[in-house]
Amino acid sequence: MLKTQGLGYWYQDKDQPLFQDINLEFEVGQSYAILGHSGTGKTTFLSLIAGLDKPKAGDILLDDRSLKKIGLTNYRRHDVSIVFQAYNLFTYMSPLNNLLTAMAITGAEHAGDKDFALKTLNDLGIGADLATRNVQHLSGGQQQRVAIARTMACDAQLVVADEPTGNLDEDNTKGVIEQFQRIAHDRQKCVIIVTHEPDVASQCDHQYRLENKQFTELV
Amino acid sequence: MNFFKRAWLNVWAKKGRSVLLILVSSAILMFVLAGLLIRSAAVKATDQAKANVGATVTLSANRQAAFKKMQNSSRSKSSRPKMTLTPVKLSDATKITKLSNISSYNVTSSTSVNAKSYDTVSTSSGLSGGNSGGPGGMKSSTSTGDTQIDGVTSTSLATDFSSKQSKITKGRGITAADKNTNHVVIEKDLASQNNLTVGDTITVKEATGSKDKVKLKIVGIYKASSTSSSSAGPMSTDPANTMYTSYTLANTFKGTKYAGTADSVTFNVSNPAKVSSVKTAGKKLINTSKYALSTDDSSYQTVKASMSNVESFANKIVWLVAIAGTIILALIVILMIRERRFEIGVLLSLGEARWKIVAQFFAEMLMVIVVAVAIAGVGGKFVGSQLGSQLVSQSTTTTQTTTSSTGQPGGSGAPGGSGMKGGNGGPGNMSQSANSKAAKTELDVSVSAVNLAELGGFGLAITFLSIMIASGGILRLEPKKVLIS
Repeated sequence: MLKTQGLGYWYQDKDQPLFQDINLEFEVGQSYAILGHSGTGKTTFLSLIAGLDKPKAGDILLDDRSLKKIGLTNYRRHDVSIVFQAYNLFTYMSPLNNLLTAMAITGAEHAGDKDFALKTLNDLGIGADLATRNVQHLSGGQQQRVAIARTMACDAQLVVADEPTGNLDEDNTKGVIEQFQRIAHDRQKCVIIVTHEPDVASQCDHQYRLENKQFTELV
Repeated sequence: MNFFKRAWLNVWAKKGRSVLLILVSSAILMFVLAGLLIRSAAVKATDQAKANVGATVTLSANRQAAFKKMQNSSRSKSSRPKMTLTPVKLSDATKITKLSNISSYNVTSSTSVNAKSYDTVSTSSGLSGGNSGGPGGMKSSTSTGDTQIDGVTSTSLATDFSSKQSKITKGRGITAADKNTNHVVIEKDLASQNNLTVGDTITVKEATGSKDKVKLKIVGIYKASSTSSSSAGPMSTDPANTMYTSYTLANTFKGTKYAGTADSVTFNVSNPAKVSSVKTAGKKLINTSKYALSTDDSSYQTVKASMSNVESFANKIVWLVAIAGTIILALIVILMIRERRFEIGVLLSLGEARWKIVAQFFAEMLMVIVVAVAIAGVGGKFVGSQLGSQLVSQSTTTTQTTTSSTGQPGGSGAPGGSGMKGGNGGPGNMSQSANSKAAKTELDVSVSAVNLAELGGFGLAITFLSIMIASGGILRLEPKKVLIS
């Protein structure tokens, strides 16, 4: 589904890249974890496959189409859904409106369907009473579940998450990882999670470690 | 239209900030509206001044030409020179009345007679029985009566009455219907001194010619104000001894050769802006070596100058407040956008178009501005009224000070000479009433639908500019820098 071809990135000096010549493939129905120490470039890699930045070298292909041709805004709108460590929800809205807004912007199949949004939230443990409150009144775990529900409500085949459990306790972490696994296996999406926690990574179908500017698959 | 829904959710959720923005916008728009109201009121007042204060063109004998003629003859003759003024022929005046923009006209012919059946009012400082020429006129050997006769077409068109210096207290004034009658309007003091009232008859004796006795019927009594009295000058009789008659009767007193003539004819011009063109057209119809046409639009000019000042200041208010308002709102929106960088980042990460993000902010401000326009609509009238009246009083004072120091176009006064009235009826006196009218000019500051539409336009323009200035940051914002850092 998603391929990287000779992918490389550097900030200032081309001779000191964060990573270079990366060739990876990601498939639907699978979950992937990208491990690495701080500063190795795993989040930068995620920003490239999420369409938030352009690679300095190489290309990213979605179903054999270059992101350059698709256009990053179009790609973000229709093909990828992002979950952030800080949840990044619309703080002036309720969980329900957060989902409805995302569905409207991305032109999801169920755009405007309030019942669908409520059911999606309910599946993740956000009942009708919580769904209509302001998101700022929800706990961190609940907010992260709303962020995950937002990705589920949209039609994007690729879900990328940047340290999604970084702010959560053990129980919430477990629940969130289970949800990602369901998204991958039940909804047949491709889930890529960037994490520095081996326990989280170990629950994914595939694990890659970014070290010395290269990715290594852990078996 | 999802951006519109987001805008509404944001405005509603952040009530405190929205109220603050409404207050700031209201204050800005209130001053913009005040400026707009003052400007439109000033334009309205100038238009009203055209209709109300009016302007006049006066046809009279050409004193300058007569004076020149007298000087020339004095060089050739050893005898004492005498200035001869040609009375205005009514047939010449009739030609001018046919010009466009002439709304009405008043024929004036003055002389004096001697009291027969009554006693004139005498004052200690006055010179009763003196000449009737006044300051603007020349002493006439044929006009030495103790009672001043002011012949007019209509008293309502006479300067003293139109400027409210004199007013009818009993009966009625002289009208065009009194032509060729012996009807007279006398002063209140003269009436009470002689126990005269409306319907009574008095007898006068002609001061010139055959010196016949003539019976006059009193149809009205008027009260002359003290201002009117003082304007008569030291050489005139007591103002109470002035009677108003039809100009035909005044001409009869003066003698048969004065039939069909007048001392002067004052034409009221309906549109004061057309005074010059009326004068030019009028000059073509008369013999300018004998007659002169003088204009008086000082009243209009005073109001116009005063309102021009107000209008110009109002324009400055509108633009200064609009520019300052745009800058203030732009700064507020810039700060607002800076604190919403994450929200913008999330929207960009969802693939939202940048223009729709800008449109969301514009829609938010639009909602604020709609409420602000309503508030400003209420408050702007009050601010406009206060500011407007202050401006008018200041600018009127300034205009009057300027005109009095430079000399109001007072003209040369009504022509004197053979029984003609001077001073009191001249344009110099009219300018006094003009100023008083101008001083009374008030701005009618009221909010109309047009004003609100204009304000809405300004509000929209200010909002649009503010958002455009502030949205430069949104267009440059990179989601990665906002969301992943």
